[in-house]
Amino acid sequence: MPGSSTVRILDGNTFVVSEDTGDIEATPTEPTGLFSIDTRFLSKWVLTVNGERLNALSYDDLQYYEARFFLVPGMATHYIDAKLSIIRERAVGGSFRETLTILNHDEKAVDLEIRMDAGSDFADLFQVKDEILNKKGEIYAEAEPDKLRLGYRRGNFRRETVIAASRPARYDRNGFAWTIHLEPNEQWDTAIDVQTHAVGPGGRDLRMGLRAHGTERLALQHDLEQWIAKAPKVNSEHGQVASTYRRSLIDLAALRFSPLSLGGQTLPAAGLPWFMTMFGRDSIFTCLQVLPFAPEMSKTTLRILGALQGTRFDDFRDEDPGRILHEMRYGETAAFEEQPHSPYYGSVDATPLFIVLLDEYEKWSGDVALVKELERECRAALKWIDDYADLVGNGYIWYERRNTDTGLENQCWKDSWDSLSYSDGTLPPFPRATCEVQGYAYDAKMRAARLAREFWGDPAYADQLEREAAELKERFNRDWWVADGGFYALGLDPNGRQCDVLSSNIGHLLWSGIVQEDRAEQIAAHLVGPRLFSGWGVRTLAEGEVRYNPIGYHNGTIWPFDNSFIAWGLRRYGFAEEAATVANGILDAARYFDGRLPEAFGGYQRELTKFPVEYPTACSPQAWSTGTPLLLIRTMLGLEPHEGHLAVDPRLPVGMGRIEVLDIPGRWGRVDAFARGRLDLHNLAS
Amino acid sequence: MDMTTTRFFEDLDRRGFEPLLAKTSGTLRFDLHEGPQTTHWLLEIDRGNLRVRQEDQEADTVVGTEPRLFGELVSGQENAIAALLRGDMTVSGDLRLVLQVERIFPGPPDSRGPHHSFERRTA
Repeated sequence: MPGSSTVRILDGNTFVVSEDTGDIEATPTEPTGLFSIDTRFLSKWVLTVNGERLNALSYDDLQYYEARFFLVPGMATHYIDAKLSIIRERAVGGSFRETLTILNHDEKAVDLEIRMDAGSDFADLFQVKDEILNKKGEIYAEAEPDKLRLGYRRGNFRRETVIAASRPARYDRNGFAWTIHLEPNEQWDTAIDVQTHAVGPGGRDLRMGLRAHGTERLALQHDLEQWIAKAPKVNSEHGQVASTYRRSLIDLAALRFSPLSLGGQTLPAAGLPWFMTMFGRDSIFTCLQVLPFAPEMSKTTLRILGALQGTRFDDFRDEDPGRILHEMRYGETAAFEEQPHSPYYGSVDATPLFIVLLDEYEKWSGDVALVKELERECRAALKWIDDYADLVGNGYIWYERRNTDTGLENQCWKDSWDSLSYSDGTLPPFPRATCEVQGYAYDAKMRAARLAREFWGDPAYADQLEREAAELKERFNRDWWVADGGFYALGLDPNGRQCDVLSSNIGHLLWSGIVQEDRAEQIAAHLVGPRLFSGWGVRTLAEGEVRYNPIGYHNGTIWPFDNSFIAWGLRRYGFAEEAATVANGILDAARYFDGRLPEAFGGYQRELTKFPVEYPTACSPQAWSTGTPLLLIRTMLGLEPHEGHLAVDPRLPVGMGRIEVLDIPGRWGRVDAFARGRLDLHNLAS
Repeated sequence: MDMTTTRFFEDLDRRGFEPLLAKTSGTLRFDLHEGPQTTHWLLEIDRGNLRVRQEDQEADTVVGTEPRLFGELVSGQENAIAALLRGDMTVSGDLRLVLQVERIFPGPPDSRGPHHSFERRTA
């Protein structure tokens, strides 16, 4: 993974990861480069002056799509004598552009050889990620008088990088160069344009006509300003919540992604650098988190996921009729079916969550037209839950991959291989079922019943769904309750044996409403109790479990996204203080990451480390971490659509002071919400 | 001419209405190139109502492939999105139409769907 000195800029699924000098020298352990549509288009991009590498004095990532590097020749000890400075300014937006400026501070004239080494391995993102490098096609480089063309060809699959500078340069197959003469105080500059092409046999690019906004720097800037202007304003007494909100809003803008099939509309991609693509689960969770602030993302997400809903059995892609996709990729491994992401459907939560999002979106927006438009897709999704997901035949959603080579073993959000275990630490056989997914199914049926009754004119279907939901709730509370622990099992195996470990998943059950009222207090107590709650947040797996590890990906780390839904669930059952405790811990943690919450951080006790320890290979920014502060604000302010109005019922901790959220959009037009911290969270411990 | 392709289009024409395309309207032309020979199939979709003709007419979307690959696509042996990413199938015009129509292609003939364990036990 890139170290801390890497600089990342992005626009949609085009992004650049470089060293702090702006150079790119990719190795399996340093996955830097220029990436687009899941392909690396530059793996080498090294600037030298008179054959010498440059050193960074400083860099600024000005906006998510642009960065500036101040460089000098020579080693660190020579900085003081530098007579030359070099500024690299770069932006992504469709293509990648870099402006070089060289200033001579010397009293003498200088002659300089400026050279950029350029090359590409055209690695598929999956090859970069998994460090597999055995390209089956042919890599080529062609120097032309006015450009350098780097390419990769495998059958009809062709990807090209075309590099051209505004000043005439000498191009060769490994880069390009200029010989220049600078008088004292003279400066020289040039603009380099790097185009990425996904060329079909007719010479047409796959991505033509796709962009939501212009790709020029000014258009990008204008688009970002509009995005911020359109979103509600958040002011906070101590400034901190407001600045975290602003950081999230900008990162969310950066993560907007325009899939090939949506004609320029955008939905949130999952995260930089590995997941700049469409994920069913991540996109839906993010939309749910940001609904009060950016509702239009939900509409586009629902439309695109509905348009790509499964229609047939395809065992390689784990596709079934009615199933909502898991992940879409555009790279070489997807194209040649070495990976199943064209798209891959191996997720069991995206399908019920699709319905949950549609209902929640309607409650906020009043967009009845979309509810009607997606009736067929909702019915197909509900049918999938009943007919295709119940592999054991006992009324639950199960999973077992049919693609045993490249499919996903665990098809819930905790998708690592060892995320599901019994209390003795052993792993259950397949098919497997996890508790939170049963909660989503319950919620989906309850919400679909409302949609059927109010908008689809089908009260009989609504009754049926409510009956099924009630039966599911009863069954679930019988089969999944771990009586001696006072919580719900994380999973179930096909023989009905419980994975009887205490996990964060029980918080999602509160959010879904499947928890029996008289058990909610026990669940809430576990969530803020010492085994699960670290002081910063709720651990994925409780301390004391055999597989607990404070830096175990799904076995002990704290996921901000997970916590935001747990807080929402706590509030749903009336545990406002517990919700505020979780929200407060996560927002405190955000301070240590300049407002940008990582994918996950360590489950260490807060008093032990004093700061949240970032999980080593965490993705950042990641969409559902970015959405987390927004959902926490909603939860603490108790924002809830109610009979066409926005209800506000704030429960903030004392230290948070006054918070105001202005211009919250919805069916009510735009309204403001105000809150003041009055909760003394210390009461909770006693 | 590949019989699979002919059967596929004849079946679409006979079907008249396809619920999966109920929100889709537009025309697609499939140009199946083999050497100097090109066979054209024109599919008109009007909110799910289908009409097929063998004509070379302007269309919102033009799809180009070899006839053999197209036969494999409409019989589920090959996947259209992968073929598109590979460059073996080309599209000009509105890409969304292709991605909608692709959904009515069948799955792979050897795909069996979910393995229900209660069926396995009773099998």
